[in-house]
Amino acid sequence: MWAEYSDRVEFLIIYIREAHPKDGWWLGKGLPGLMLKLSKSKAATDVYDPKAVEERRAVAKDCETALKYGIRTYVDEMDDRVNEAYAAWPTRLYLVGADGKVEYAGGLGPFGYKPKELGEAIEKYLVREGT
Amino acid sequence: MFDFIKHQRKSKARQLELDANAPQTGDEAPDFELKDVNGENSVRLSDYQGRKPVALIFGSFT
Repeated sequence: MWAEYSDRVEFLIIYIREAHPKDGWWLGKGLPGLMLKLSKSKAATDVYDPKAVEERRAVAKDCETALKYGIRTYVDEMDDRVNEAYAAWPTRLYLVGADGKVEYAGGLGPFGYKPKELGEAIEKYLVREGT
Repeated sequence: MFDFIKHQRKSKARQLELDANAPQTGDEAPDFELKDVNGENSVRLSDYQGRKPVALIFGSFT
C-alpha cells in the first residue's frame, strides 16, 4: 500500500503504548505464546512497558529495524496523549484528508484493524479528489 | 494467570472508554506534534493540511 500510494499520501507510523508488555497483558507464555510462535508473528514478546520516553523510542527503533517497514515512525509521549485522542491502543488505522478531516476511521485492533479497508478508503479519496 | 486476566480486563475497559470518543469520519482530526525514534525531526499533523492526505498507523512492537 505504501509503495502504491506514498507519492500521493503521507504514511506515518505512530508508536504508542505497548499492547502486550512482559509486565502487563503478556502473551509470551502458555497457549497465547504458543499461538504467537505458530503464527510466526513478528510481535516482540520480551519487551517491558517503557517507563520513560527514551525507552519507548528505543523499543520503537528496534521495531522499525526488525520489521523493516520503511515508513517514518514517530513516538507518542509518555502521557499517551495522541494514543488517547485517537483511541488507538492497541492498534488502529486512520486516513486524514488534506482538509484535516477524518476520511476513514478504522475499528479497534486487533480485529478491527483492516489494512484493506484503509487501502479502499485511500483509493476512494484519491479518485474523489482527482489526484 | 490472574495477573493476565487483571491486565486484560483493565486494558479492555480503558480501551472501550476511549473508543466512545474516538474521531469518526467527518470529524476534525486531532492535531499533534511528535518526534521520531531518535527524539528528533518533529512532525505535526496540521503541517500536511492543504498539501496531502495522511494515513496514520498506530501500533507497537508487542
